[in-house]
Amino acid sequence: MTEQVIFYVSAFVALISAAGVVLNVRNTLYAALCLVITMLSLAVLFILLNAEFIGVLQVMVYAGAIVVLFLFVIMLLNIRGGDMGADRQPVLKVIGTLLIVGASVKLVPLLSESRRAWPEVGPEFGTVRAIGGTLYTDYLLAFEIAGVLLLAGIVGAVVMGKQRID
Amino acid sequence: MIPQIDIGALGPMLPVAVGAILLPLAEVLMARKRTFLSRPFTQERRGTFLAVASLLCLVIALIISVNGLLGPSRVFNSGNPMIVMDGVAHFLNIVVLLGASLTVLGSVKYLADIHSNHGEYYALLMSSVLGMMFLTSASNLMMLFLALELMSIPLYVLAGFRRSSLRSNESALKYFLIGSFASGILLYGMAILYGMTGSISLAEIGKRFDPESAPHLLGAALVVVGLGFKISSVPFHQWAPDVYEGAPTSVTGFMATTVKVAAFGALMRVLAVALEPAAELLYGALWVMAVLSMTLGNVMAIIQQNIKRMLAYSSIAHVGYLLVGVIVGTLDGYAAVLFYLLVYTFMTIGAFTVVAILAKGGEDRDRVEDLAGLSQSRPLMAVVMTLCMFALAGIPPTAGFMGKFHLFRAAIERGIEIGDTSLFWLAIIGVLNSAISLAYYLRVPLVMYFRDAPPTSDPDVPGFFERVVLLTCLAAVVLLGIVPDDIFNVLSQTAASAQHLLLLQSP
Repeated sequence: MTEQVIFYVSAFVALISAAGVVLNVRNTLYAALCLVITMLSLAVLFILLNAEFIGVLQVMVYAGAIVVLFLFVIMLLNIRGGDMGADRQPVLKVIGTLLIVGASVKLVPLLSESRRAWPEVGPEFGTVRAIGGTLYTDYLLAFEIAGVLLLAGIVGAVVMGKQRID
Repeated sequence: MIPQIDIGALGPMLPVAVGAILLPLAEVLMARKRTFLSRPFTQERRGTFLAVASLLCLVIALIISVNGLLGPSRVFNSGNPMIVMDGVAHFLNIVVLLGASLTVLGSVKYLADIHSNHGEYYALLMSSVLGMMFLTSASNLMMLFLALELMSIPLYVLAGFRRSSLRSNESALKYFLIGSFASGILLYGMAILYGMTGSISLAEIGKRFDPESAPHLLGAALVVVGLGFKISSVPFHQWAPDVYEGAPTSVTGFMATTVKVAAFGALMRVLAVALEPAAELLYGALWVMAVLSMTLGNVMAIIQQNIKRMLAYSSIAHVGYLLVGVIVGTLDGYAAVLFYLLVYTFMTIGAFTVVAILAKGGEDRDRVEDLAGLSQSRPLMAVVMTLCMFALAGIPPTAGFMGKFHLFRAAIERGIEIGDTSLFWLAIIGVLNSAISLAYYLRVPLVMYFRDAPPTSDPDVPGFFERVVLLTCLAAVVLLGIVPDDIFNVLSQTAASAQHLLLLQSP
C-alpha cells in the first residue's frame, strides 16, 4: 500500500516536472531545475524497483553532476527564452507532435501488453555488490573499454578546449 | 561464477590500446625543456617520432591480426561473450589497421603544412582505431555501443583538428551533433530490443526475435537507422559532404574508409545474426537505401567542384554498392563486401593522400582545377590519382572492377537461385550507376593530363612517407585487380567459418 502511494506520487511529480522542462521556454533556468526534480522522482521509482544502485547513480550523476553542468552553461552564456528559437518552424512542430502522439497511441498498448513473466531475481539483485560482481566478471571487457573511452574523451576535450596547443 | 578469460583473444587490440594510452604521455614528456636526450625535440621531430611510434603499434597489431586470420576463432570470456574474434573480425581489423597505417604515414607532412602538428592527433587516431577493432568483433549490443562511441568521439575531435579554420570547426560540430543523434537513435533501438527479447547477446536476440511483433520491428528499424547514419547511406547522408570537406584531408581519408569498414562489419553481424528473423522486411528497406545511395551519390558527385565533396558523394555511392552485398546475404555476398571494403580503402586513401599533398602553407587546394597540369609537374601523383579514379569507377583491370564484379555477380547468382527479380534489378541499377560515375571520375585525369597548369601553380613534392603511401595504394589497386581470385576464395571460407561460429555460439 505505502509502496503504491509512493509510486503514484513520484510518478505524478516526474510527469509534471517533465512537462515543466519542455514548457518553460521563457526561462531556461526553471526548465533545468524542473529536470532536477524529474531525475529525483525517477530515482525514487528506481529504488521502488529494487534497483537501489541505479537510483543512487541517478541522483549522483544526473541530478548532481549533469544538470548542474547545464545550469552552469545556462548561467555563463546568459541564455534567455527568446534566444532558443521558440517561434521557429511551427509546421515542423505540429508534424512532430502528431507523429509522437500517433506513435504513442500505437506503441503504449503494445509495450504494456507484451509484458511477460521475467525470471525471478534473488534478494541481491540490483545491489552494489551484485552489480560490482557482474561488472568485473561478465562485463569486464566492456568496463575496461569504458575506461579507454573516458581517456579519449579527456584528450579530446583538452585538444578542443586548450587556448594554445604547441 | 568467474568466467574463463582468454586474454590472447585481445591480441590485436592490445598494441593499439597501449598506443592510445601511452602516446599522450610521450607527447608531454617530449615537450619538456630537458628530455632524456638532454636537448628538446623540435616540433617537427616530435611529430615524426610520434607517427613512427603509432605506426609501430599498428604494424604489430597487423601482424597479430594476420596470424589470427589463419588461426582458430576465439572469444574473450566464456558465458556471455563480449567479443568474438572470428575470421571476419580479423580480416576487417586488418583492413582498418592498413587504412590507419596509411593515414598515419600520410599525416606527418600534412599536419605540419596546416600548422596543426600536435601529438594528440596520433593518440586520438589510435583510440578511434581501437574502437573500430572492437566494433568489428562485438558480439553483443553493449560492446557494440561502447565500441561505436570509442570510434566516434575521437573522430569528432579529429574533424575539428584545425582549430583556426572555420570550416574545420563547422565540420566537427556537425559531425558531433549528427553523430550524437545517431547514437541516441541506435541506443533507443537497442533498449527496445533488449526490453523485448531480454538479452543483449546478438545470437540470443536472433533466437528470440519475433518478426510479427511491432515493438521488435521498431527496435530493429531504429538500430538499422542508427548504423545507417554511421555508414552515411541515403537518406541518412546529409552530414557527409560538409563534414568531409571541412575536416583535415588526412582525417577525411580516414573517416571515409575505416569508419565504413568497421560500421559495415557491425551492420553485417547485426543483420545476419540478431535480426535474421526479420530479414525479409529489413532487406526491403535496405534495397531502397542501396538504390538511393548509389543513384543520389553519383548524381550529386557530378556537379561538385571541390574534390573532397566529390569524393564524399562518391563514398555515399560506394555505400550503395556495398549494401548490395549485404542484401544478397549469402556467403559470396559477404565475401564480396569484405573484398570491396579492402579495395575501397586503398583507392580512397590514395586519392585523399594526393589531395593532402597539394595542401600548402595552411591552404587546402582541393578544387578540381587545382589539379591542372599535375601530370607534368608531379607525374607520380598524377598516375596514382588516375588509377584510383579508374578503380573507383570500376574500370578493368583495376581492383575496383573486380570488387564490383564480385558484388554484382553475387547478387545475380542469388537472384537466379531464389528467382528474385529485385536482386537482378539491384545489379542492373548498380552497373548503370557505375556508368554514370564515369562522368565525374574521368574529369579528374582529364584535368590533370590535358589542361595546362596555371603559371602560379607549384604543387608540393611528396615527402618520403607520402611516397610510401602513394606507392602502396598504387600497388594494391593494380595487384588486387590482377590476382583477386585466391583472396576471394579465402574470404569466402572466412565468412563461412564466421557464420558457423556465430550461429552455434550461445551463452
